[in-house]
Amino acid sequence: MTDIEVITHDQAPEIPLVAASAPKQVRLRKRGQVAKWLSIAWLVFITFSALGANSLPYVPHDCPGETNAGCSTALIGDLLNKRELPPSWAFFADPERKVLADQPTHAGLLGTDSNGRDIFARSMLGARNSLLIAGLAITFGLAIGTFLGMVAGYFRGWVDTLIENLTNVLLAFPALLLAIFLVTFFNTPNTAESAEPRPLWPIILALVILSIPPLTRLVRANTIAYAQRDFVVAARSLGAKGSRILFKEILPNIVPTLLSFALTGMALLIVAEGALAFLGLSVEVPIPTWGKMIAEGSQRLRAGVWWISLMPALVMFLTLLAINLLGDVLAQRFNTREAIG
Amino acid sequence: MSPQQAASARDLVQASSRQIEGPLLEVTDLHTHFRTDRGLVRAVDGVSFSLQRGRSLGIVGESGSGKTVLSRSIMGLLPKRNTERSGSVYFEGREIIDLPMAERRRIWGREMSMIFQDPMTSLNPVMRIGKQIGEGLRLHLGMSKEDARATALHLLRDVRIPEPEKRLDQYAFELSGGMRQRVMIALAMACGPTLLFADEPTTALDVTVQAQILDLINVQRRERNMSLILVTHDLGVVAGHTDEIMVMYGGRMVEKAPTRVLFANMKMPYTEALLNSIPKIEDPSHTRLNVIPGRPPDLVNPPKGCRFAPRCSFAQDRCITEEPPLMTAEHPEHVYACWYPVGSPSHRARSAELAANAGAR
Repeated sequence: MTDIEVITHDQAPEIPLVAASAPKQVRLRKRGQVAKWLSIAWLVFITFSALGANSLPYVPHDCPGETNAGCSTALIGDLLNKRELPPSWAFFADPERKVLADQPTHAGLLGTDSNGRDIFARSMLGARNSLLIAGLAITFGLAIGTFLGMVAGYFRGWVDTLIENLTNVLLAFPALLLAIFLVTFFNTPNTAESAEPRPLWPIILALVILSIPPLTRLVRANTIAYAQRDFVVAARSLGAKGSRILFKEILPNIVPTLLSFALTGMALLIVAEGALAFLGLSVEVPIPTWGKMIAEGSQRLRAGVWWISLMPALVMFLTLLAINLLGDVLAQRFNTREAIG
Repeated sequence: MSPQQAASARDLVQASSRQIEGPLLEVTDLHTHFRTDRGLVRAVDGVSFSLQRGRSLGIVGESGSGKTVLSRSIMGLLPKRNTERSGSVYFEGREIIDLPMAERRRIWGREMSMIFQDPMTSLNPVMRIGKQIGEGLRLHLGMSKEDARATALHLLRDVRIPEPEKRLDQYAFELSGGMRQRVMIALAMACGPTLLFADEPTTALDVTVQAQILDLINVQRRERNMSLILVTHDLGVVAGHTDEIMVMYGGRMVEKAPTRVLFANMKMPYTEALLNSIPKIEDPSHTRLNVIPGRPPDLVNPPKGCRFAPRCSFAQDRCITEEPPLMTAEHPEHVYACWYPVGSPSHRARSAELAANAGAR
């Protein structure tokens, strides 16, 4: 058959041009690669720490023999004399020097908080809650948003109008107010007697509802674009059913866009959870999330104790940065930049 | 004989009796109108024709002449919203114009299927070729995964794709345009349809590949005894590849004849103009191309008389006021819609005048 490409092989003149521009290309690509691998490394570290937060002995100096969870949530007297110690590299430099008799000057990589708890350990525990909440929320949001968006974009008509108006209503509603309303409505009132911990699901529900409208719109727009593509018409002309077309022809094509958007969305949800926690609407007291740790430390900022607030903020910042960078990498890989907006 | 066997035997008898009687496809007074903000677009406005089993028909016309809409409305592929269809489409002896979707789906792929214009976009970019071909086989013929794969391989071999085993597991982007169109042909033929639509199958392809693809379609059509409707804007494409040619203009059929008859004795000035607009190889280089002046008619407010009249060099007063009906020429299967057809005295007088003018300039 003649439609095989053969001609380009012995066309010599183009080679010097390629050679001249090659190094720049490589350098650019390498820079992107470094950022990408750093992001992946950080996310792996955070995820690993979050998963193992209960059993990983991150702070052996402060409470030898005890696990992370026990150490960070305990309010034992021993911790009290370690209150508000600044971050210190001594954690790495000299493990023996950590405590000076009864009045330690350094403890932990990221310092300790007002209760003498290790901020690094608490940040990792916080990672678990923040990532769990944001991850679950974006998963449910994706499932619901994708379904609604595909149905609206493929069938159009009154279904589309209905879903479109629903997302408009949700988008018009002040997001934070809605979340506050949902969380306060579903949480059991905090009384002295009922030590029942607040459930996680109201906050997840609030975040899911926040994430549905933009996802629905994104999927709807993509579905409309793909539903008019020839290969979908071709599949239809071969007798494929609506559901088959939606799930086998259209969905696989919008997954890349969805993935890169989901990462960005997850970063936004982590921030949203942080905002709710800052307002005291997230999980129950001794369990840390990043937002709550920042909120706790904010009262001590004026006293010059900056690390209680800023250290968890730094961890959060790095995580969000890593997620966003990875989202960009995915978007570039799949050429979906314009879809993220 | 089990009831099932009896049923299938009865089906067979019905199928064979259906084959004997009448044409495969009979379209009568088909109208397809789109509702738009500007008004009703009469994309197909009263087209009738029939197609015999195993024969091929070329539909020719400019962009916007309604040829693609015609083929898609016969298949029923147009979206329901904002579309009005009327008339009748008889396919294998039954009316299919308002079949419910589920019934129509049973026809698609198995009885009629379509090859699309652009092979770059008509294959799913994220599904392997083998699976894409296999989908229809499994859906319509209930094949197992393995059988579907084997049949897909066989089909790829039939459409002369090099290294078919390798292609099964490749994606569309790994193939060249010509190969993708071959895959599309394999896809359309997979379930053995009796009627194949080819909607400008070579427009998006390299000129060197066009002839190969057309020949391939024709060879497969003969081997599988399919009927073919080939839609194109290029008279040259249909010339060697179809038994009959139908020329469309402004949503109407303006001339239809067996290929040989049409080229020997075309009646419609539009057909002639189309043919003249193909550059001729014996022309000296830098010869000005012949174009048809003006633009295709506005299908919201089509001209009152003959729709081609405003652009026709031979138009007279009657053409503008009165719409010509379809008339039969010397050959009984040759119909045309023109008051002053090519070869008539008034047409001859006018062409002499035009030639004189051109000479004077």
